[in-house]
Amino acid sequence: MAIKRADFPLPDVEDPLTAEFFAGAARGALVIPRCDSCGQWVWYPEPTCPACTAAGEDDGTLTWQPTSGRGRLFSWAVVQRPFLPAFAEMIPFVTALVALEEAPEVRIVTYVVDADPDHLEDATPLEVTFRPLAFPTVPDRHVVVPMFTPSL
Amino acid sequence: MVDTPDWGHATPFDDINGDVAIVGIGETAYTKASGRTAKEIGAEAAARAIADAGLEPADIDGLTYSGAFADFDPAAFHEHFGTTHELWSSPWGGGMSWAGTAPYLAAQAIKAKQAKHVLNVFPVAWATQRASMTGGPGEVHATQTAKQNLEVPFGWFPQPVYFATIMRRHMLEFGTTPEQFGAVAVACRRHANLHPDAVMHDKTMTMDDYLASPFLADPLRLFDSCLISDGGAAYVTTSVERAADLPHPPAIVRGVAEGLSSSGTHWSQQRDFTSTPQVFSAPPAFAMAGLQPNDVDVLTAYDPFTVVSLMQIEDMGFCPKGEAGRFVEGDTLFHDAGKLPFNPHGGLLSHAYVLGIAHVVEIVKQLRGTAAAQVPDAEVAVYGGYTGAHASTLVLTKG
Repeated sequence: MAIKRADFPLPDVEDPLTAEFFAGAARGALVIPRCDSCGQWVWYPEPTCPACTAAGEDDGTLTWQPTSGRGRLFSWAVVQRPFLPAFAEMIPFVTALVALEEAPEVRIVTYVVDADPDHLEDATPLEVTFRPLAFPTVPDRHVVVPMFTPSL
Repeated sequence: MVDTPDWGHATPFDDINGDVAIVGIGETAYTKASGRTAKEIGAEAAARAIADAGLEPADIDGLTYSGAFADFDPAAFHEHFGTTHELWSSPWGGGMSWAGTAPYLAAQAIKAKQAKHVLNVFPVAWATQRASMTGGPGEVHATQTAKQNLEVPFGWFPQPVYFATIMRRHMLEFGTTPEQFGAVAVACRRHANLHPDAVMHDKTMTMDDYLASPFLADPLRLFDSCLISDGGAAYVTTSVERAADLPHPPAIVRGVAEGLSSSGTHWSQQRDFTSTPQVFSAPPAFAMAGLQPNDVDVLTAYDPFTVVSLMQIEDMGFCPKGEAGRFVEGDTLFHDAGKLPFNPHGGLLSHAYVLGIAHVVEIVKQLRGTAAAQVPDAEVAVYGGYTGAHASTLVLTKG
């Protein structure tokens, strides 16, 4: 039952749950769904705001809104074993959880790039950079995604 | 942070203290890739558990198994044993967290007179199947939409990478050191070396060996990680009254509980990143049992990575939050000398990766006094189950 999607492990940019995230990245914006009613940032994406839906209030409509693109390093790992063939030529790389400045409870899973892993620390200030993600196992395809780099 | 946890809850359970007991256990060989199917392995474990309980297959009128794997379901039971009788069943048993809560399902079925003898089975053949899986045991995660699009493309996949970041956070928040994670790995290997059936029976591990093992995802080393194995086990639960007629001393179920994380398998978003839902599970289980963590003689806990052992030890109340690193140093976890004998069969790290079912079998053996690495005078034994989204706590006492 291995995963069959031909462009895996690139993201499926047409998946309705996450399409806006990648559409935002393509135009240079880090966008996250936010509830029109209560203002809560909802991550990962849901069809509607879970809190407002549970409370039976309004419709909990979510709108993808731009963020500052700034955050702080919450945790990271320096991956040294390629767990998928797609990663074989990338190792070692830094995969990380970044807490967003305006909503620290939102943690973006991302790559930290242009950084010496030995200089990363708890809460290192980071800012988004939009880069093409491509894997040698998926020829002739790339997707622009948000990555993060230490703030100057 | 742990005083008012708001990121999960416990499933409400009725009090079943003293109602049922585990009376039969069965295990298959634990191996690397065997070429066997999980269904064959499950049938063998089932047959051995039924025989150990002094019963016949026709006496088994209840079956709990893993619906997510469904390798040994009621149809497989009847096919293997050539039986046709009515079989109460639930797909919410098997291994992982559910290896700890299956006795609760059995107790409810027995109380409702739906069954008298309930078998819980869990087999796995991931060592054999691994090459055909995307990211090995991570495949089930890669099929989830949010994880497939928001995690996997960013290299946060599979489990060793998740737990490397959890481990990093534990180090940042609490000052936990590599040697403290290593103490878990070394203790489990020491126990496996005493256990003839453990996959790692013949391979020793010193702290230097641990520290020299390669990083899979820094800070997580190879020896922080569980094995990938073929194997399975099963156990039979019945009423304490019925247990008195059966050949082995019963392991009496005193407390059982289940905790759930509201972020489910989206670990990246779990509010308290360095805790497990054991925070929600252990207190009601100990309360049902009328016991405290310091009453426990032997603990088995789901140990896919060393950091999970530390988190569960904290979250079950064996030491304050953040102090498990210091707590496990030295001989704390050793079966014969430690203040908290831990995974005396070797655990997922060094016995076999059979997803917790062998952990429950081990505590039954400890209470019978028949374990390979026997804890002296073990009378109270606990299993801490875990899947990430779930945790369970099963408290047993010597009958």
